[in-house]
Amino acid sequence: MERTGLPATMESTEYIIRPDDQILVTGATGFIAPRLVDHLLDLGFRRIRCLVRHSSRAEKVDALCSRANGAIVEVMRGNLLSREDCARATENAAVIFHLAAGRGEKFFPDAFMNSVVTTRNLLDAVRLHQCLKRFVNVSSFAVYSNVNKPRWRTLDESCPVERHPELRADAYAFAKLKQDELVEEYRKKFAIASVIVRPGWVYGPGNESITGRVGTGTFGVFLHLGGSTRIPLTYVDNCAEAIARAGLIKGVDGNVFNIVDDDLPTSRQFLRLYKKNVHDFPSLFLPHLLSYTLCYLWEKYSKWSEGQLPSTFCRKTWHASWKTTRYTNAKVKQALGWAPRIPTSEGLARYFEAARRKVEHA
Amino acid sequence: MLRVAIVGCGKIADAHASQIRRIKNCAVVAACDREPLMARQLAERFAVERCFGDLQELLSESRPDVVHITTPPQSHFSLAKLCLENGAHVYVEKPFTLYEDEARNLINLAESRGLKITAGHDDQFTHVARRMRALVQSGFLGEGPVHMESYYCYELATTGYAGALLGDKQHWVRRLPGRLLHNIISHGIARIAEFLRTDSPRVIAHGFISPLLKSFGETEIVDELRVIISEEERTTAYFTFSSQMRPTLHQLRLFGTKNGLILDHDNETLIRLQGARRKSYLEKVVPPVDFARQYLANLRTNLGLFAARDFHMKSGMKFLIESFYRSITEDAPLALSYREILLTAKIMDSIFAQLDAQAPICPRNCEPALAR
Repeated sequence: MERTGLPATMESTEYIIRPDDQILVTGATGFIAPRLVDHLLDLGFRRIRCLVRHSSRAEKVDALCSRANGAIVEVMRGNLLSREDCARATENAAVIFHLAAGRGEKFFPDAFMNSVVTTRNLLDAVRLHQCLKRFVNVSSFAVYSNVNKPRWRTLDESCPVERHPELRADAYAFAKLKQDELVEEYRKKFAIASVIVRPGWVYGPGNESITGRVGTGTFGVFLHLGGSTRIPLTYVDNCAEAIARAGLIKGVDGNVFNIVDDDLPTSRQFLRLYKKNVHDFPSLFLPHLLSYTLCYLWEKYSKWSEGQLPSTFCRKTWHASWKTTRYTNAKVKQALGWAPRIPTSEGLARYFEAARRKVEHA
Repeated sequence: MLRVAIVGCGKIADAHASQIRRIKNCAVVAACDREPLMARQLAERFAVERCFGDLQELLSESRPDVVHITTPPQSHFSLAKLCLENGAHVYVEKPFTLYEDEARNLINLAESRGLKITAGHDDQFTHVARRMRALVQSGFLGEGPVHMESYYCYELATTGYAGALLGDKQHWVRRLPGRLLHNIISHGIARIAEFLRTDSPRVIAHGFISPLLKSFGETEIVDELRVIISEEERTTAYFTFSSQMRPTLHQLRLFGTKNGLILDHDNETLIRLQGARRKSYLEKVVPPVDFARQYLANLRTNLGLFAARDFHMKSGMKFLIESFYRSITEDAPLALSYREILLTAKIMDSIFAQLDAQAPICPRNCEPALAR
């Protein structure tokens, strides 16, 4: 994505829309979106349309409506695979926060359809109405290859994305990359102003799982693969605030923003805290050299056996997930005037508390 | 070199493309989907030469020898017909067509044009299914099956495919004559059809909506089905589809006049049930030892296949596709007989007609185009 000049000081960071302008949030009953809606309401925006799936549970939709407090929070049920629904949803929208995604899809076509085809439908609908001021595309750290980085171990927005995502056996990463490419294509071809935000691992009450960047439980015992690598965490409220600012602040069209919090724990620290605060379980640490070698062997076997085992563990996955990497949030702080409001220590405490409750009720 | 095209680029198309890639002397040369982006993503991942949004265009420009149809079942008949009319052999994913008469029309059309057609009943060609077939053909059961039990269960979770289906009143599966059942049960029915000897068995079906689905407010999707199939007071079969019973079995049990067999598709095991009984306490001691020995033998076979790089999740599909291509290039017999395809379609027609008669489950969303 082409970089535009960033504002030198925060005095220039006014919002691109007025409080009464229409905002659309897709994937509104997901993990991040309700916090985003809350934040937008806190900022004084009064017309928020929330697009939710037909299958979204009623209580989640009711919860969205209950946040209104005088503002108009319109819940629209629809399917982004329907062009008609997209046309209805984007009508009068000045800013679109596109959070809907094919997350959790195991298969490439499903992930692609629910991320890329849906985004294309949304962007085509935007072209019809001609009233959009910015499209905020919520992407993921999963798109980075994490190799050949200009600043050695530091992963920032200038780092290359994966050129052959199809080889990583990660349907989500493939779909997100194609989604990013599509948004960029529409920006260049049809002048649709857009921003891409790439959150790290978004955590907090509501997502109590352990990120695969720490390790995997696939083989019965939890294999700890991260070791001393830092985990690119962003607490859900912090992430929502950064996304909101990416949609509102002037002068950042065409930019990519990585979102991670400060004071990131290493994988080892995270796992130790999890075991101490949630529940203890056996884990086996694999040093990086060993995990890389095993990924290499797995990849070779997968190819030799013509996919008898999928290439879930391959060198590309190792680089993207477990290689020693440093993360920076300098750009998002400087350009959007964002700072993580919830410190990592506090965020982790809330997350562990929620995870403990979940384990106790399981 | 066989030139292959895939029409419909969803999840199952990936399985087809993956297996075709493993077969010699063929290549996927074109992909087609009404949604061009979907065709493009498949082409990109499987290095397919060309993408199309229109099948007629594909047939005219790419001139494939074989077309794999992997679209939703509503379009199987019209797409397969178009392919046959344009001189292409056709592999149609299950369910073959919506109705038996459509299946018959396609087979007649293929035969009249000297072309081949098959249905995607690939579960019948896994390693274990082939071992079972060989045993039956060797006379292990005695006189052919006296009774069969086919279990084909499905776990309905509130996420993924099932979640989308349950949450979307316009989902294409709801517009099938047999709804969810129509899209799933053909594997389980085809296993029975293979061993039936007449073309008009008696079918008694009973279906209902499970309490779980009712609790979600579901009024259309029948997810519990029990069927009795019988022919000339000689062979009987029970078919069970359930979303609620655990484990979610995928089994075929065959009982002959001498012995029986249990095929477990999930575990890829085949267990022989000896008809002869032993004396006294030996009946309590010997069979468990024999079962343990058989399970170990199954394990050894499966590990051997894995070591030989021949134990892929879709091994049945590869075998069926490979056999189909051989039937085209060498005029070899088809692995799946037309009789079996038609009988499967006929039994399914009968089941859905009975379910509709018991409780019309499509008061709102039946599309006129699909109603008969």
